Amino acid sequence: MDDTRILLAHGNGGRLMRELIADIFARHLANPLLDTDADAVTLPPLDGEVMLTTDGFTVQPLEFPGGNLGSLAVHGVVNDLAVAGADPRYLTLSALIEEGLEVDVLDRLIASFAAAARESGVAVVAGDTKVVRRGEGGGLYLSVAGIGVRRARAPLDITRIAPGDAVLVSGPVGDHGIAVMLAREQFGLSGELRSDSASVLPLTQAVRDLPGLRFMRDPTRGGLATVAHEIARACGHSVILEQRAVPLRPQVVSVCEMLGYDPYYLACEGRIVAVADTVATDKILARWQALPEGAGARIIGRIETGDSRVILDTDLGGRRILDELEDDPLPRIC
Amino acid sequence: MKHDARAWLEKIHALDFDRTVKIMNVCGGHERSITHAGLRGVLPKWVELVPGPGCPVCVCPEEDVYQAMQLALQDKCILVAYGDMLRVPVNVKKGEIRTLAEAQAAGADVRPIASPLDARRIALDNPDRPVVFFAAGFETTTAPTAAMLAEGIPDNLSILLSGRLTWPAVAMLLGSFEPSPGSPGFDALVAPGHVSTVMGPEEWNFVVDRHEIPAAVAGFAPESLLASFYSVLRQLKSGERFLDNCYREVAHPGGNATARRMLAATMDVVDANWRGIGIIPDSGYALKPAYAQHDARLLFPDHTDPDRRRAGEMPPGCDCAKVVLGKIYPNQCRIYGKACTPRNPVGPCMVSDEGACRIWWAGGVRVTADA
Repeated sequence: MDDTRILLAHGNGGRLMRELIADIFARHLANPLLDTDADAVTLPPLDGEVMLTTDGFTVQPLEFPGGNLGSLAVHGVVNDLAVAGADPRYLTLSALIEEGLEVDVLDRLIASFAAAARESGVAVVAGDTKVVRRGEGGGLYLSVAGIGVRRARAPLDITRIAPGDAVLVSGPVGDHGIAVMLAREQFGLSGELRSDSASVLPLTQAVRDLPGLRFMRDPTRGGLATVAHEIARACGHSVILEQRAVPLRPQVVSVCEMLGYDPYYLACEGRIVAVADTVATDKILARWQALPEGAGARIIGRIETGDSRVILDTDLGGRRILDELEDDPLPRIC
Repeated sequence: MKHDARAWLEKIHALDFDRTVKIMNVCGGHERSITHAGLRGVLPKWVELVPGPGCPVCVCPEEDVYQAMQLALQDKCILVAYGDMLRVPVNVKKGEIRTLAEAQAAGADVRPIASPLDARRIALDNPDRPVVFFAAGFETTTAPTAAMLAEGIPDNLSILLSGRLTWPAVAMLLGSFEPSPGSPGFDALVAPGHVSTVMGPEEWNFVVDRHEIPAAVAGFAPESLLASFYSVLRQLKSGERFLDNCYREVAHPGGNATARRMLAATMDVVDANWRGIGIIPDSGYALKPAYAQHDARLLFPDHTDPDRRRAGEMPPGCDCAKVVLGKIYPNQCRIYGKACTPRNPVGPCMVSDEGACRIWWAGGVRVTADA
């Protein structure tokens, strides 16, 4: 029997499944609360308001420079809690594994999941595995729920955003989108660019006490422009972004120029877009820039009275509307 | 001397024209860069930038899209195509399947790809199924298809080739062919950077030599585009005429010799139909007879249905053909932003990221204008 790959029998509830859970999941994720034989876990009372989030994760390839599906899944859920003003505490993990996935790959991804969870101070307290037939899954899908405790002074509320507020970003945008694309080795391009996949918790912890902080969000799918649209729609005003102020790595710029992609729509997995009043803005910038994760932080725009639109002031003094994303971005074919 | 975008812009503003000068581009990538950089807003009022035939998706014959759909639906092929082609509507009655994406939802195996190599991989992964690569595109995307053919492809992979050459469309606009269609509608041409990289800038000499219209090859950065605008404006002012190259670092004389050799080895240049425009002489690619065993047009039944209403044309009310030819601006179309939006595109120009209507809409142009 081929024991280097996942078989349908790994999902049948029998010996193979028990061994898979013990050898990979329990081994990497072990902590005092995790009992792989129990149907449910009892958690100790939490010292504050509980925040809950859930997210599903898929990426091709499963491993890419700067991360993999495992670390990405932890960062995704930790970051959703972090930008909402919470300290993340517990995660659950459901793994949908495709028949045929190499056991070594699964081992690496779950080890990486466990390492990222440790770094963010969260424990995995419940989990599940399923095996789907070959061709019915992209190798591995992860579904993760996260529980955290709210630490921000007041709930961060997108509707408090007002004209005159500034828009900040904690570092260069588009790294993850381009890194994953280069890792697919399509279009005859390759490169050294690493994904920015990381926990943003140190960044949110550094600024969430500021009363003038209105809103934080991690620009994942749809990128900076999509978060800007969420802001514009919620507050009913225009979001003005300054092209020259938006930090972009040279590799991201050159790949975008070559393929006709727009960096403002590319995913990030370790950045924050924040909106704050004028008093808080300088403090946020100073505190972020003092952290390694926030060294590239910049003020990139402002909220202006007007229609709920997103406008990019271009380097040349022109103006461009950044429209809402309609389809997946595709490389140009001319 | 190398200038940055701002310096080129100043030089353009220093020129003084007392009439409107229309500069046509023939590349969706150019139109996108122009819109993204907001160039129309910073150029002098007397400069008009006209998007011309630069969108391969827009001019792909409706019959070819229909044929691709039928292959996927009736002949049970795996149909692979560049992502943009999946949403191009054909002219069928309400309620019938009108795009490859709808065919996919109805159970056809349609897969978007980004490169011919993806087509090869899918064919290798499915050796017991026929795989048809619907290869629509200009020289730039047809060349990689030629390279794949020349290197040898799996037996079960065939090509539904809908490749087009760019320059013959401009030649048609300029009246190079008889009968002349009248005024070309532009004073100067910005020639496409990628096409020139593959085929060589010399392809565009005819614009200058035969028609005495200034032309310059441009890349995709604002400074390259602005340099090309300045070049053609200077030529108009001075009366000099030459083909300038403002994309020297990439578009070399003679183009990409390997790519041209592969194209010549695998494909013939033939008269071809452009959607809504008609037959343009020597403007299309067809597989050479030596590749007949990979020619989807020969391997599968022809699903052409002459009874379909307005088969082959643009949909009713749609002015895409005029937009593609630079006769009107996108927002002068009768249905721009009304019946036709990116969410519910009627014409192909609103579908593709290369299409002028889509680019203008995504760039925020919401005001319609009279033609």
